Amino acid sequence: MTFPDFHPTPLTVSDLSLERGGIPLISGLSLRVEPGEALVLLGRNGVGKTTFLRALSGVLRPASGDIRYGDTPAIKAAPAVCTFLGHDNALKPDESPRQSLAFWAELSGMTEMIPKAMNAMGLKALADRPSRRLSQGQKRRSALARVLVQNRPVWLLDEPAAPLDGDGREKLAAAVTAHRARGGLVIAATHQALEWPDARVQELTR
Amino acid sequence: MRVGAIFLREARLAFAGGGGPAAPAAFFIASLTLAPLAIGQSPATLQAAGPGVICFAALLAVLQGAEKLFGEDVADGTLEAYGLSGIPLSVVAVAKVLGSSVATLWPLPLVGLGGGVAFGLSVEAAGMLALALAAAIPGLAFLVAIAAALSAGARRGGLVIALVAAPLAIPLMVFTASAGRAAMIGDAAAGANLLLTCAVSLFLTALSPFAISAALKARLE
Repeated sequence: MTFPDFHPTPLTVSDLSLERGGIPLISGLSLRVEPGEALVLLGRNGVGKTTFLRALSGVLRPASGDIRYGDTPAIKAAPAVCTFLGHDNALKPDESPRQSLAFWAELSGMTEMIPKAMNAMGLKALADRPSRRLSQGQKRRSALARVLVQNRPVWLLDEPAAPLDGDGREKLAAAVTAHRARGGLVIAATHQALEWPDARVQELTR
Repeated sequence: MRVGAIFLREARLAFAGGGGPAAPAAFFIASLTLAPLAIGQSPATLQAAGPGVICFAALLAVLQGAEKLFGEDVADGTLEAYGLSGIPLSVVAVAKVLGSSVATLWPLPLVGLGGGVAFGLSVEAAGMLALALAAAIPGLAFLVAIAAALSAGARRGGLVIALVAAPLAIPLMVFTASAGRAAMIGDAAAGANLLLTCAVSLFLTALSPFAISAALKARLE
């Protein structure tokens, strides 16, 4: 069983400036990400990688400039096209990965894809353990499986691999490759080498 | 149905982590048990103070779960995921508040009924008070949710909850307690007060989701 098709959407960022609490972070950033591309954001701590991802997810208004998915501004388009994985995993301590996935899959109408997402992240053995008894890496796998069942064309991932072991990073890389092959976009902020084949790298500076 | 999923999850989580209705009910019963020790045991005093004390204790019982309502979603990243779920945050708020309230607050009118009788009200008066409490609880749950949304993720969130919830609760306190008091002396105003309680409760239920959604959006930025 494969995920239902989505409409591939290019991302255009033009002359973007962002502030956080009155402090200017990113200024004059322009880039374009086409369907099937992966963009890895690098940069020092505090340079604004997370802020940039939040702006891409439409919750943070740019100080100036423009973010568009296709022709639609991010603030309007994001709830239909984006999945955001932040530092926190959006897991409830008393919910098992299976329950959590069942919930998010139902919101996206993807209930039948739960086994495939659990397989892709190697969650089989952990499926029914409450999240409070999972390790950081296991929680991250569960959160990444949530990204899969949401089945949106644009993945915004903040340090997706930080707590993952070698096997987890391989599974993430495989999921990213499969997503790109379907015309999806992946934008990830990271400090680690992600070993994603031919991912573009964007260095963010002040 | 997607909104139904949020409602059910919220109800399930209230039982899984929060002990379901045990905490608010225990809080309510404890307040009602302690009140006579503070205000004096004479039957006339208790009867006069009963409806007011019971309403007030019910408000405190509803308030005690407030900080968790949206605070946990902000802290664990769930709110961000809701923000991109494609479901309006006002709808998410309604589903969450109803889900957690239905799971946790249902014993309160029953405790109010028992409390009314224990405070020396006639069964009819205690019944009227319980009915008014049942009518007030949706409004109380939603006004507390406004305060909870405003305080979510804020330091000193408890302070915000107290400052916001207290003034909003005034009309419900007045009408709910008046319904019980009027019924106690056989005054026909009891029914009118019950209807006013219903009206205020409906008003809060209808408008709160928009206030909650605005507060949560500000929190996301």
